[in-house]
Amino acid sequence: MTNTKPAVKSAKKKKRYASLDKRKARAGWFFVLPFVLSFLIIYVPIIFESIRLSFFRIKPVIGGGFELIPVGFQNYQEALFVDPDFAQTLLTGLQQLAFDIPAIVIFSLFMAVLLNQKMVGRAAFRAIFFIPVILSTGLIESIDAQNTMTEYMDSASGINDGSGESVASDLVSAIDVERLFANMKVGKDLVKYVADMINNIYNIVNRSGVQMLIFLAGLQSISAAIYESCQIDGASAWETFWKITFPMISPMILVNGIYTIIDSFTSESNQVMTFIAKVYTQTDGNVLSSAMSWMYFLIVMLIIAAVAGVMSAYVFYQRRD
Amino acid sequence: MDAQNMQKAPTVMKESKNKIRVEFERTPLKERLKAKFISTFFLQKFVWFIFRLVLLIGISYVILFPFFSKISGSFMAPEDFVDVTVRLIPKHFTLDTYKAIVNDLGYWDAFINTFLLSLSTALIQTFVCCLIAYGLAKFKFKGNGIVFLAVILTMIVPHETLRLSLFMEFRYFDILGIFKLLGGGVIESLNVLPFTDINLTNTFWPLIVLSIGGLGFKNGLYIFMLRQFFRGVPDELEESAYIDGSGTLRTFIQIILPLSIPMMITVFLFAFSWQWTDDFYTTLFFTTQKTTLMPDIISIPKSLQTNYAGQNLYYSAIRNTCGLMIIFPLIIMYLFGQRYLIQGIERSGITG
Repeated sequence: MTNTKPAVKSAKKKKRYASLDKRKARAGWFFVLPFVLSFLIIYVPIIFESIRLSFFRIKPVIGGGFELIPVGFQNYQEALFVDPDFAQTLLTGLQQLAFDIPAIVIFSLFMAVLLNQKMVGRAAFRAIFFIPVILSTGLIESIDAQNTMTEYMDSASGINDGSGESVASDLVSAIDVERLFANMKVGKDLVKYVADMINNIYNIVNRSGVQMLIFLAGLQSISAAIYESCQIDGASAWETFWKITFPMISPMILVNGIYTIIDSFTSESNQVMTFIAKVYTQTDGNVLSSAMSWMYFLIVMLIIAAVAGVMSAYVFYQRRD
Repeated sequence: MDAQNMQKAPTVMKESKNKIRVEFERTPLKERLKAKFISTFFLQKFVWFIFRLVLLIGISYVILFPFFSKISGSFMAPEDFVDVTVRLIPKHFTLDTYKAIVNDLGYWDAFINTFLLSLSTALIQTFVCCLIAYGLAKFKFKGNGIVFLAVILTMIVPHETLRLSLFMEFRYFDILGIFKLLGGGVIESLNVLPFTDINLTNTFWPLIVLSIGGLGFKNGLYIFMLRQFFRGVPDELEESAYIDGSGTLRTFIQIILPLSIPMMITVFLFAFSWQWTDDFYTTLFFTTQKTTLMPDIISIPKSLQTNYAGQNLYYSAIRNTCGLMIIFPLIIMYLFGQRYLIQGIERSGITG
């Protein structure tokens, strides 16, 4: 928004400020230079190398070194049709993605709205809620993934903390919820979705830290005057949420949706990614894993494009100028 | 309301030169309490308050409980894991697990190495990302949009995809073929350097090179966050600095950077702790056992290896203790830094 200002000025007095604009453009290039250079020198070759390698096969040569044999699309074919697990893992991984994204976005929006309200101990709650952002990543995530101990201790407390599928320790059993909703004539799938969401709460909480931060930032940027005028007009909290907060925060929902997709498909706990990593180590750095991950990447890019396309049609942008 | 109407007008008396005393009849306490507490408005608020509190405490519990269980497990002796009566409070309190991790696995080596690595990359990343984000946010130049798209691209492509070629790049490191040319790889007679490529693996250099270029772990996200923040900084600040004769770089360092310290601390916290717990780059670039890093200490210490009924549980407790010891410095850092984390994010005012 603020960028347009100097441009307007220079359009008025074009002759006088042209050199300043040029100088500023040069300064801009200077600032982004480290990124541009290393992007061109390191990143682009790496990407091309990775794509190129997925069409080759590595053959170790006796006495050190290796040989590259071009095989065309054979790696892709093998990944899709020969490997017994890849297609299945891909499918379940995508299903998981479809489940996780709405759950995480809805949960983080809800929590951000809660944490944005004035109340006793808000700072403490916020501090607790953002612990996973810092602490439950990388190594800790991989330790948790093969953790039998918390599962054991949880059998007393009854929370499934993402470590196993112990049915006995489910917080809410689907049957209970189904009974509850049976009279309300809500679809069975929805009931199952809600029950799954509650049982996966630990996972969802752990993975919605950054999203919560982004939503909180968005909520802070909504001016208090709008809420005040709403209150004066006699709107209830429910109406205020749907008529004011929701539209104003909708760009953030788009950002968070896309961020969640990216985050969950690049994270180490992702099924498909762990599968690909396993293939990488099993075949001793063979290129089958490259082919697999490029295929996965393409599919996820398509999903991102679809989500962004659909959602951006409904996003409300407030005109500031 | 009625009670107020019945009141007499307050009387004002002058006590001394600068002091007055106002006397009025207060509504009785009972009436006041009644008006305050027995109303639908209050009831609504109260119910919401309880609901919110229960929900927040419940979810806080979900977040914190694994930590508690890990902490209690770390103090348990092997006997406790087969004892059914032991849940969270250890019966045979012991520090053996910690001692074994520190002595057998070389915790302090890993700590110092990881600390140096994380600190250097996090400092470089914070500064470089600020630079790039500032350039993207405040300067209009041809290709601005393309550069930003490139940043987003680095964020989207999962590093798992690039694993093999990343390794190759730094195993046979070469800048645009210069080393190969000078080392006699292209023309035999031109042999200035004794090598044609450099093996950068098992050093800090791959990560530092990536950080300098803003290509490090999650740097796309930092650049995005900082860009949003810098876009919210009013242009007038820089304009006045320019008028006073300051150059762009000086303006950036003397005016913009001091302004954005909370945001920089946020990015630094992220960069430091994500690098600290990272196991992708560290296992990729550090292939030998020479430099012990944090991922290397997640294993079962030799002195604790046993063979009994509760073995699996015990080993998983040991691994969890390793995890606890890994994140312990981060917890301390978080306690000091979380204020800035939330402040910085709130000020960034990210808007789609």
